[in-house]
Amino acid sequence: MSEESVIAALRALAAQDREREVPEAVEDRLLQAFRRRQTNRRWRNGLGWSLAAAAALTIFFVAGSHERPKLVAPAPIPRRSVTSVPAPAEVATAPAPKQTRPVRRQPIEQPIEQPIERPIEQQRETVTQFFPLLDVAPPFERGELVRVMVPASTMRKVGLPVNQDHLADPVYADVLVGQEGLARAIRFVSYEQ
Amino acid sequence: MIATDTALLEQALAGAEDAFTALYRRRQGGVYRFALQMTGSSALAEDVTQEAFLALILHGTRYDQARGTVASFLYGIARNLVLRRIDRRPWAEMEITEECAGPEDLLEDLTRRESIEHVRQAVLSLPPVFREVIVLCDLQDSSYEEAAAALECPIGTVRSRLSRGRAMLARKLRGAAGCAGRSIECPKSL
Repeated sequence: MSEESVIAALRALAAQDREREVPEAVEDRLLQAFRRRQTNRRWRNGLGWSLAAAAALTIFFVAGSHERPKLVAPAPIPRRSVTSVPAPAEVATAPAPKQTRPVRRQPIEQPIEQPIERPIEQQRETVTQFFPLLDVAPPFERGELVRVMVPASTMRKVGLPVNQDHLADPVYADVLVGQEGLARAIRFVSYEQ
Repeated sequence: MIATDTALLEQALAGAEDAFTALYRRRQGGVYRFALQMTGSSALAEDVTQEAFLALILHGTRYDQARGTVASFLYGIARNLVLRRIDRRPWAEMEITEECAGPEDLLEDLTRRESIEHVRQAVLSLPPVFREVIVLCDLQDSSYEEAAAALECPIGTVRSRLSRGRAMLARKLRGAAGCAGRSIECPKSL
């Protein structure tokens, strides 16, 4: 059998299959997946911008406060811009945040008077993995880690389990802000005594 | 003006559902037939097509226009999915039976459809590296460049595999026909 005959036989097979297509149900399933993806993207972009705004506000207030020590960590690996965390008393008296809210604290030099509990600095910090906030992030050159306080419901939105009764509880989060000011990723922080 | 695949993909990745639908309707047939001709199973081909376009939704940003067309990108995804499934399937399911069974005048009685199915089985019996170039270049009418991009190999490799694949196919078809003492003719309608 010559090569031409083989090619002709293959053409016959191709012609027979030409009209074969995927059942319509596949298109429906794919469109559902596409819509879910778009919904998730919109939510993540919204969260990203909210956190970026919170981080930018934090940086703005911290940088504008001359009497306070510089709060940007000098470490070569991006670390928290706001190196401090609030004293427990401050957390206890603060109004319950409804939106993402940057956390500020007393300068390190200032003694904390009559702490109700052991300072958070002395507690063991546990962090989650980072959850990306951008689908396609621009190249990363440098960034800062900014600690903010967000409602616990934010954790649920990145897939972490949260009890229904605690959705409004404030939790600490570290937001990685890139050199362009975009919030790239978020991780959540908890403290153990 | 008809939008290019690349433009449709960009719009789809930006969230345009109609662009995704248009791209899907334009390319699903090719991807489905590629998977069908590689596996011989319409159910597997359906799965592969769905997963290939899901991968496009999730990882479409990895497409690089400099490395090939959107069709090649899709064929590449489908190919990887197919190869994973082929590995899991028992070969006996796809192997062509090269023994001469049935009546002596088997070939005489073959209808056009049976002849074509015989060719399909011969294609399915080829080793995957040869089968994929035969399917892409001879059955899907992809260019050597497109096939090379989908298979992530040089064009020269595509050419040599195609040549060897056709030769293997000729031997298989000749061997099967020889059993009945005749050669397999191309369907007359061609």
